[in-house]
Amino acid sequence: MQTNKYILGVYDNPDKIYSTTKKLINKGYKVDDVYSPFAIHGMDRLLGIKRSNLTVAAFLFAMTGLTLAVTFQVYVSKIDWPMIIGGKPNLHIPTYIPITFELSILFTAFGMVTCFFIVNRMFWGKNADIIDPRVTDDLFVVSVQIQENKTDIQALNQILVENGALEVRERIKD
Amino acid sequence: MSYESPIRDQLVTGGKTYRDVTRDVTRPLENAPSKSWWIGFSISTLVLALWIGATTYTVFVGLGAWGLNKTVGWAFDITNFVFWVGIGHAGTLISAVLLLFRQKWRMSINRSAEAMTIFAVICAASFILSHMGRPWVAYWPIPLPNAFGTLWVNFNSPLVWDVFAISTYFSVSLVFWYIGLIPDIATVRDRAVSKARKFWYGFFAMGWNGSTKTWHRYEVISLILAGISTPLVLSVHSIVSMDFATSLVPGWHTTIFPPYFVAGAIFSGFGMVLTLLIIAREVMNYKDYITEAHLDAMTKIVMVTGTMVGMAYITEFFVAAYSGVEYEQYAFLNRAFGPYWWAYWTMMTCNLVAPQVFWFKWARTTPWFIFIMSIIVNIGMWFERFVIIVTSLHRDFLPSSWAMYTPTITEVSILIGSFGLFFFLYFLFCKFLPTINMAEVKSIIPTHHDDHGHNHVKGENHAN
Repeated sequence: MQTNKYILGVYDNPDKIYSTTKKLINKGYKVDDVYSPFAIHGMDRLLGIKRSNLTVAAFLFAMTGLTLAVTFQVYVSKIDWPMIIGGKPNLHIPTYIPITFELSILFTAFGMVTCFFIVNRMFWGKNADIIDPRVTDDLFVVSVQIQENKTDIQALNQILVENGALEVRERIKD
Repeated sequence: MSYESPIRDQLVTGGKTYRDVTRDVTRPLENAPSKSWWIGFSISTLVLALWIGATTYTVFVGLGAWGLNKTVGWAFDITNFVFWVGIGHAGTLISAVLLLFRQKWRMSINRSAEAMTIFAVICAASFILSHMGRPWVAYWPIPLPNAFGTLWVNFNSPLVWDVFAISTYFSVSLVFWYIGLIPDIATVRDRAVSKARKFWYGFFAMGWNGSTKTWHRYEVISLILAGISTPLVLSVHSIVSMDFATSLVPGWHTTIFPPYFVAGAIFSGFGMVLTLLIIAREVMNYKDYITEAHLDAMTKIVMVTGTMVGMAYITEFFVAAYSGVEYEQYAFLNRAFGPYWWAYWTMMTCNLVAPQVFWFKWARTTPWFIFIMSIIVNIGMWFERFVIIVTSLHRDFLPSSWAMYTPTITEVSILIGSFGLFFFLYFLFCKFLPTINMAEVKSIIPTHHDDHGHNHVKGENHAN
């Protein structure tokens, strides 16, 4: 049974928190997340986070931008109001390239970033769920979820402290 | 793979800890501005007032306020536009291209370089608006259904491409910059004591809490944004160059323009980054973050791109001679020995000859000297655009149409005033946002160990 109780171990060093998290995972604890002021390389793999699908989203947005740009330019210059400018043909694919390229990039950037905000549930004015105010400064926090009748809190505390935790505390998430 | 090599010099000096980084970078934000900030800000506000005055005058009077004539229809306006867009290229280049090449020295300079990009593009856009003469119809190049029975724009025109390129570049750079700022805004939020500060930084931090899940996605999108910004930055100045290159004017009608303009843009952009950062590291005391090694790396880029630009000047001459086209040959001889010879030789001296001093280590690591050089680079690149635009136009095909161009006081005021606009925005940025990317800098400073040295493998091989 999972509970809404978490044990937090606070560290001041990315290497210590990396090795501690590794130990905790090997011993079967349920590490919920690790909070850090910068991305610790390899931590996402350690926590078993799958590679984000945002890359796929980016590609799809690029294709959307590309399709819209080509369709619109062809519609305007060939179908809706064909004009002869400088004796050039109405359907002039090479001159569509710059705008098509720019719109693909524009759609990719905005689409992907919007998806990023959605999957992280980030929005302007959101009240941050701050684990520790210094986690954006110089502290690193590992959060272990307590499983009822399964997690030995004493042993967990000991592992955290033995590996150099500055502080161990409990947190209840609602 | 993130490996702290024991041989390489450290990118940040002074044995900074994570806490030191936070403190050093947030200091200007959390304290009353220094005297030098106030002096700089006041001067730029005054110069900005000059810009507002001269631009307003132009809008009221019309383009008759400028020194343009039937032959020279583009002069200071487009020169300044290309100049500012060029300056706007270094920011994205530093953050995107150098990210893809894993050049970690970019990390303490990318934030202010990106800010510079955004402000420079704002300055550039202001020239596009004012050169239209009737800025209230500035939306006409955008293909909108309209009152003329939906008469669309001409997609053959590079001017239309330019509208798309510049607006895409501006908005994507803004997004890239903001994404990079989020973790740092959260840092400021978490240190905030006043209510207003907590609210505003909290508002823009979007609830960032430093979770590994978020960091993972953050790194993925940073990499993709870098990946799409790299071709974007190259495309923007290529398209700007096509405004000229797709025309029939001798001196403009050249296939070498796109790469040559891009090299020039990087050259002038780095010139401006150096100007700003040398001041910033003195005034804000960031010498441990923006070290001489950073200056060294940037001046090398200045030298390489300056030489590329110089090579392009010489290639243009060669192609004109080799092509046998009389108009082309005349255009280039007129540039070098015609009435605007002084502009041409200023350009040659500042852009090709002057940066060659950076072959010497002393020149690359002496801040005051680099500062002077960076100004010379900017002057040279401004003259490059002036030479290309004015000297190509002023000798028309018919000698009866030949004319000379002299700027009016209004045009000079707009040019000087645009620096006011630029620095006004830059000073506000220095006061309200962290000028160094704290999260990235923290990831490259060595961890402070109690027991062992600095050389260790930080993590496993990782895609990002």
